[in-house]
Amino acid sequence: MKPARFRYFAPHTIAEATQLLDEQGEEARLLAGGQSLLPLLNLRLARPSALIDLNEIQSLAFIHPQNGGLVLGALTRDATLERDPLVAARQPLLAEAAHYVGHPAIRHRSTLGGSLAHADPAAELPAVMLALEATFTLQSSNGNRTIAAAAFFTGPFQTALQHGEVLTEIHLPGLPPRSGSAFLEFARREGDYALAGVAAVISLAEDGTIAQARLALCSVDPTPLRAAAAETVLRGRHPDNVAWQAAAEAVVSDLKEPPSDIHGSADYRRHLAGVLTRRALALAAQRAERSHS
Amino acid sequence: MTTTVSERAWIGKDLKRREDPALLMGTVTYINDFKVAGMLHAAVLRSPYAHARIRAIDTSAARALPGVQAVLTGKEAAEVIGPVPAFCAEPVVEQAIAVEKVRYAGEAVVAVAAESRAIAEDALDLIEIDWEPLPAVTDALSAMQPGAPLVHENLGTNVVYDHVFTFGDVDGDFAQADHVIRRRLRWPRATAAPLEPNGAVCAYDPARGTMEIWSNTNMLNSASWVMSSMLKIPPHKLNFYPMYTGGSFGSKHFLAKVIGIAGALSKVTGRPVKFMEDRLDNLMANDSQGPERIYDAELAVTNDGKFLSLRLQTIDDYGAYFIFAITGNTNMMAQITGPYTIRSVATGIKAVLTNKNQQTVFRGAGSDVGNWVLERLVDAAAEQLGIDRVEIRRRNFIQPDQFPYKIPTGNVYDSGNYPGVLDLALAHFDLDAWRQEQARARQEGRYLGIGLATAQQRSTYSSTEFWFHNPAPATGLNSTPESVRISVGPTGGVTVTMFSPFWGNSPETVVAQVVAEELDIDPRDVNVTYDSTAHALPSAGPGGSRMTVMLAGAVHGAAARLKEKIFKIAAHMLEASVSDLELVGGQVRVKGVPSSSVSLADIGMRAYWFKLDLPPELESGLEGTFTYDHPYTTKPHDDRKDLGVFYPIMGHAAHLVAVEVDIETGAVLFKKYVAVHDVGTVLNPRSLQGQIRGGIAQGIGLALLEEVRYGADGQNLTSTFVDYLLPSASDVPSIEVYHQETPSPFTAYGVKGGGEGGRMVAPPAVTSAIEDALRPFGISIAEMPITPEKIVRWVKEAQSRHSRQTH
Repeated sequence: MKPARFRYFAPHTIAEATQLLDEQGEEARLLAGGQSLLPLLNLRLARPSALIDLNEIQSLAFIHPQNGGLVLGALTRDATLERDPLVAARQPLLAEAAHYVGHPAIRHRSTLGGSLAHADPAAELPAVMLALEATFTLQSSNGNRTIAAAAFFTGPFQTALQHGEVLTEIHLPGLPPRSGSAFLEFARREGDYALAGVAAVISLAEDGTIAQARLALCSVDPTPLRAAAAETVLRGRHPDNVAWQAAAEAVVSDLKEPPSDIHGSADYRRHLAGVLTRRALALAAQRAERSHS
Repeated sequence: MTTTVSERAWIGKDLKRREDPALLMGTVTYINDFKVAGMLHAAVLRSPYAHARIRAIDTSAARALPGVQAVLTGKEAAEVIGPVPAFCAEPVVEQAIAVEKVRYAGEAVVAVAAESRAIAEDALDLIEIDWEPLPAVTDALSAMQPGAPLVHENLGTNVVYDHVFTFGDVDGDFAQADHVIRRRLRWPRATAAPLEPNGAVCAYDPARGTMEIWSNTNMLNSASWVMSSMLKIPPHKLNFYPMYTGGSFGSKHFLAKVIGIAGALSKVTGRPVKFMEDRLDNLMANDSQGPERIYDAELAVTNDGKFLSLRLQTIDDYGAYFIFAITGNTNMMAQITGPYTIRSVATGIKAVLTNKNQQTVFRGAGSDVGNWVLERLVDAAAEQLGIDRVEIRRRNFIQPDQFPYKIPTGNVYDSGNYPGVLDLALAHFDLDAWRQEQARARQEGRYLGIGLATAQQRSTYSSTEFWFHNPAPATGLNSTPESVRISVGPTGGVTVTMFSPFWGNSPETVVAQVVAEELDIDPRDVNVTYDSTAHALPSAGPGGSRMTVMLAGAVHGAAARLKEKIFKIAAHMLEASVSDLELVGGQVRVKGVPSSSVSLADIGMRAYWFKLDLPPELESGLEGTFTYDHPYTTKPHDDRKDLGVFYPIMGHAAHLVAVEVDIETGAVLFKKYVAVHDVGTVLNPRSLQGQIRGGIAQGIGLALLEEVRYGADGQNLTSTFVDYLLPSASDVPSIEVYHQETPSPFTAYGVKGGGEGGRMVAPPAVTSAIEDALRPFGISIAEMPITPEKIVRWVKEAQSRHSRQTH
């Protein structure tokens, strides 16, 4: 299990990185934490001509407050997301979901931007981005552009990134008052890819009904999935088990064909999506109520 | 051997493992870290097909790659090495590199030696093979059908072994039974998957015709003559060096393919060659997959819950080769009737070849399966007869005064106190409180379950189990010795040398404690080393939970010989008679006269460098060697109605488990786990507990997670640790381990082996607990692993059955 030959570069600035991408052509790959890319290299499933290692670019790792929300550098490690007080205060969903990524040793290397750019449909953070309505900054030698998370994930392991572009920043708008969130997933073992995962955000109105619900799932579709129909079902309802059950049914009936493998059939994943939706919504609502009291 | 527990200074002391500092500080060398000058690195191209003929192989581009020194196809390798040594009577031939056809996905097809592993792997990319794919058989039931593709054409069938053993009046006992409990049970294919894969460095010296071999094989001494035929070098010109081994669990007995590939490449290049399996190599081709069995199992029971007879018929999927024959099935005949007074047994075995990596031995070696099958039947009998699961076991236990106890197969159990073990487990578990908790949880719609298993853990194998399944006059090996050398140096330092390697357990801790006991010195002052086969005394190596028993016996014998010389020299020095002397605290002294003494250092110096001051009949030097043979084994009878004594050192354990099952997700959460083991006299409680906990972790893995899976086309679907699911720290609960000590009458100090018990008892206990949790749904568990998806499906099916019945 040794990788095929490749050229290796370790630029110190984003500008150097984008220039290298231009020079090295379409067979070049960016390396962030290596959580997914290194095993693919060692198994020779990925054979890039060049690796451009982003880990020396210090300016890519940061967490700043922004308009009640957050802006994060793409090289922010998952272990940082788990522990950062600003993340805990403003977007606890991100910290909660980051805890499900692999094991502690992996989380000290794996990065937010790497997970998003890799776009594994089983990964937690892409689904969280949908639920938090994130926008991403993509930088190339031609300048910057901004794209919504909802438009970014185009297929399994496929994104809107063009060759020559580097995902540099993740912008997360702040949540309305009286909001709560929850991330739940089910895996065969702790640290494994989820058989299904649910990110839920509930925002309550003054009268205690659901003003807005946001739901996104991982591991049940070729891309991370925003459950729009279930969100519609929940709007204006009382936060109770009947509502959660209705949302779960909407999620399940909206699912196309979840993946099927030796760890879980499509039917089982569909079933889990319903169970986890119900549980995640209940937990998010409980937290929303607690945030108010 | 006559000392009692209270008189012992070191045996039974809870000392830290003496292996740990070196392992933790990284000062030992594992095979992957080992280098010799001029060494090449090998990589292996593996078959993408489960069954295919090799029409042609083009290796020219690989040979032309700079840095590549040798490329060997199976045909080319067969010119320098012979087939893999096999212990089966049937003509099933395996080559280290496949010749003409491949029989499982992942079988080696070409090996390359190059200046680096990366270059060797680059070369594999350049090899072109013209394949003729053949239909594959991937399950035993299909492989048994007439017209099924043949794995080995020369056999004319895939059913490589088919025989029913009958011991006692089985038909008569079944005719007398009030109830016959019947179950069809399935045991899943698992694999040993140690942390460290197999590896070897072979250095052929064309000038001397010798080969030096550094590898992580467990069986140095056996390997040196068994591997000779494969390497085509006489055994005395092979020298196997002991290496530290990163776990085996039965998977590192010979490593014939790994040593064969490195050896063949070394012979053709004249340079040392390392072949180190990576995880893909190991999970696809380690030749150590476990049993995959379907059982039709029947237990004959009376109205008052007494077990009369056991009738088993199994179909066992052995995979593509058969190097250890049906060892996985003969092994369980050592304890097939468990701790119970079952008076007759029939066991039918159909061994079937399929296009999978082969089954050999994995911790438990088939006795793990026997325990699970029997305990499933016992739980089913309790349910069917309405007798409590604890009570039905008590009614059938062999009683402490019935030992030594001969079971129907002919094997003898040396000693035991099964009610005592169960009582101790119950005392630590609080069954009544858990039953109340279970009732309360069910009111809340939560599902708690309590599991119980009381089962055997045979130890100290005899090699007759490898051949007694063949009818007389077939015969085979019948000794399994183990030796040590204890030497006292000229300054009194004590060194123990072993001739089997460190295989992940605690051999150094064990021998140091026993030597300390015998010489009345501090075990921390004892040095422990290993020696290569060029210098070895007879030693069969680890396997079948034997090493603690065998090393204790060897050290006991060697110490006696050493002490004889120590006392002779001391008597000469002290001008006293040997019978007046005693050894206390590393000093030999005249009994009752502590001032009249000499130290081991005084005696050592005299022994090595003052020949003229020794008793004239003594030669220089001070050491004792001893070869300890199996303490109690006999040959099978020619009619095979009595298999002889082959696994008499019999441990026992009771596990009590509480779990909670989330019926919506299928998750199983452990609430409490109590394990009581009786493996005779405990030498070191700490290392034994580590063994037991590790074994239970593997047993939990088997019950809930682990399964080698092949697709319908024969592709191995579990060739990485993303897909072959081993339990991790978060999946294994805190386990309370307690000991009862019922010494063996046959071994030194009464020790029994405890290496496999955890894994042999956990699967039935965990299965029993989950079945108990799901009792409101009337679910009977007949297969493992018990995955969350299966639990959800079983519950849904039960609910729909229920709703059909009520509407």
